[in-house]
Amino acid sequence: MTNLAVPRPHVRPAGPSALRIGAWLAAGLAILPLLAIVWLALTRPSATAMPLSLILQYGLTTAALGGLTAVAVTVLGTSAAWLVVMYRFPGRSLFSWALALPLAAPAFALAYGYADLLDVAGPIRTALRASFGSDFWPMEIRSLPGAAFILSMAFYPYVYLTARSAFISQSVCALEASRTLGSTPWETLTRVALPLARPAIIAGTALALMEVFADYGAVSFLGVQTLTTGVVRAWSVYGAPGSAARLSLLLLAVAAVLLWLERSGRQGQSFGANSARWRPLEPQPLQGWASWGASLFCLSLISFGLLIPAGWLAYRGLSAAPEADRLIQAAMTSFSLAGIGALVTVALASLIAFGAPHSHRIKGLASLGYATPGAVMAVGLLAPASLIWHGAGSGGSQTVALALGLLILAYAARLMASALGPIEAGLTRVTPSMDRASRTLGETETGTLRRVHVPIAKGALWTATLLIFVDVLKELPATLILRPFNFDTLAVLADRYASDERLAQAAWPTLLIVLTASLPIIILSRKIMQSRPGE
Amino acid sequence: MTTALTLDGVRKLYGAKVAVDGVSLTLEAGKITCLLGPSGCGKSTLLRLIAGLEPLDGGSVATDKILSGPTFHAPPEQRDIGFVFQDYALFPHMSVEDNVAFGLKRLSPAERQKRALLQLQRVHLADRAKAFSQALSGGEQQRIALARALAREPALVLLDEPFSGLDAHLKAGVRDATLEALRQAGTAALIVTHDAEEALIMADHLALMDKGQILQTGTPQDCYRHPVSLAASRLLGPANPIAVVVAGGKADTGFGSLDAPGFADGPAMAIVRPEALTLTADGTPALVLANRFAGADSWITLRIGGLELEARMATRLSPVVGSQVLVCLDPSACSVTRA
Repeated sequence: MTNLAVPRPHVRPAGPSALRIGAWLAAGLAILPLLAIVWLALTRPSATAMPLSLILQYGLTTAALGGLTAVAVTVLGTSAAWLVVMYRFPGRSLFSWALALPLAAPAFALAYGYADLLDVAGPIRTALRASFGSDFWPMEIRSLPGAAFILSMAFYPYVYLTARSAFISQSVCALEASRTLGSTPWETLTRVALPLARPAIIAGTALALMEVFADYGAVSFLGVQTLTTGVVRAWSVYGAPGSAARLSLLLLAVAAVLLWLERSGRQGQSFGANSARWRPLEPQPLQGWASWGASLFCLSLISFGLLIPAGWLAYRGLSAAPEADRLIQAAMTSFSLAGIGALVTVALASLIAFGAPHSHRIKGLASLGYATPGAVMAVGLLAPASLIWHGAGSGGSQTVALALGLLILAYAARLMASALGPIEAGLTRVTPSMDRASRTLGETETGTLRRVHVPIAKGALWTATLLIFVDVLKELPATLILRPFNFDTLAVLADRYASDERLAQAAWPTLLIVLTASLPIIILSRKIMQSRPGE
Repeated sequence: MTTALTLDGVRKLYGAKVAVDGVSLTLEAGKITCLLGPSGCGKSTLLRLIAGLEPLDGGSVATDKILSGPTFHAPPEQRDIGFVFQDYALFPHMSVEDNVAFGLKRLSPAERQKRALLQLQRVHLADRAKAFSQALSGGEQQRIALARALAREPALVLLDEPFSGLDAHLKAGVRDATLEALRQAGTAALIVTHDAEEALIMADHLALMDKGQILQTGTPQDCYRHPVSLAASRLLGPANPIAVVVAGGKADTGFGSLDAPGFADGPAMAIVRPEALTLTADGTPALVLANRFAGADSWITLRIGGLELEARMATRLSPVVGSQVLVCLDPSACSVTRA
């Protein structure tokens, strides 16, 4: 009662607590690279500047790629979510979680698979030529539309997942009311369900676009020059950190816009679920060709997004013996980096979740890190990195350790926000009065954290760790830029093989990533499927 | 009397809103004090200030030592003050026994378990020691929360609307169990409630609060019979205000005279409780405007002269609507305050 009348205050004694200071420090780490970018862009004159026309071209290509992918992921993800939530058809319960599976494959895996499969000398076009004398293939995969296709297939699950949870949280009451007011099912979709879910769909599309703009492995392999490949080239080809930083600023501006879209979309999401009389949707059975059509649609999304390219890569990989030593070495490196990266990131995210549970400012800073492409993050850390490499003399084990530290920092800065989501969801089970109860029972702030928050959020902390582990495993551009010399992860190894056109070899590390990431993705997506609003 | 807690001029602001406005209050050791007030009057905030869950903006909170002052704030874990939360706040990841033992970490494990079981026996829930809070009823959760707060044997325990989450038919039973446990523990208790009957039944001392200020303190009987203002009287139940003129220590209501000791001659206000109006053979004539049945008693609206008054009478004696009756005033259920 009075609890509700007075705005619920934070449980804080006078003065900032150690945890809150920790939260600020963690958020500060996330934006440190971004501040460095601004500093680099303003202070480094570029002797070997990139031509302006080139920058313009990068910008236009990026915009076109973003536009095409945005339309595709929105349509595909939303349709799949609507089918799975509203209708019964063969395989529906399997599809409801399997549609998220393409998240296990990095975009470059799809690029390798499709580029090889659809190459002029590839099996499909060879077969077409053998049968018809000409392959009249409509689209070159190493092109802007080709890249848009591949990135759409890789990233539609972001829209699928957010749209699905938005549709599920809609009460059947709203939809039934629409029907009793004379709307057909189609009108109900367009006039009620879609407008209600629109904020969530926009948020999902924004997330997918962040990934599109962050992608380096796929577009660089396909020869599509985006701002992100520009950042990497400015650094590696032109050796101009200033130019890289100025290109990064452009990307940062785009990231900020996407972040704003995503945030405002997420804030609007709640208006689906807060109907006082929430009743779950009862999916309607589809009949005849419609039901098989729905199954086919979902199956082809999963096939194009994962099964076909990964299957082809597996076939190619098995035709060649792997370079076992390099592969094992890279796998060890990847797993330990991903493990350490995940633990550090989750620890920092926990500081924010525990120490500043109500601070939008701190969370906003962390999210800005998430919206920032990995290549940009890496360029932001280049200044300290080059200091280390040049200052400490090359090759010392201390230098390597410091460089690895920077790499982990780049992962943490970029992924903190995505760890924050599940942790915060887990912490909703801790009510403010549990906090206070522990304090009045003689426990200190950190003791409360250890004995109440962490045990209650344990599942969520594991979920976050898995999520980050997968993301680090798939990460390429930041690793490429910041890694110590000859320090190959699976993703870096795949990129090096692929750029030498040794696709059969590139298949091995790529598939190792996909297989390793699949298990956590399956666990996580099944878990998301089981959760219902109101629980 | 020994003092368990002293509040002196405690103030708390939320932005420009004054939530607690200069509250001074003394709690006696081993006694139960009920803090009664309407929703939003600042009573739960006051509880949080005492527990040290929030810093205060003025005044001080002290037991035998200062806990909160202008420059000092002891954290809640160092105050030795128990707290029973409105939503109970049981830890969902722990069994009942572990919940009760939560605050006993300085004891050995064996001692801890012994103490937790003893507390559970006191609230008659020793058989649920291994259960988890999700499996308990609301009444059981409330008693566990109380046992948990008392396990540390605090000198003072604070209870925030402890019975508001319970079904009506459970309330009386849980309330009696709570009183029994508090008396057995011998700790001072401050119970926040907005339910007048609950406060009157439970309290050794009452503190009436409104708009961030304490209106009156005293025994339940005192506060009920001699309210300091109309607002204070209404916190404890319905009251009919009647404008009167005091002359020579007496106030005349027009249908009965009341003692007004210590009042100067001039305008004042008589507060007439509904049960003060009784039917008699030789009283003042009154017209019955309404009769609402409420079980054993009925609520009667009477017109006496130009006044409309609410009366409460035994249903078997209550008059029919439209009839003329004769009423008189029982002075023990009336009082006089400033106008």
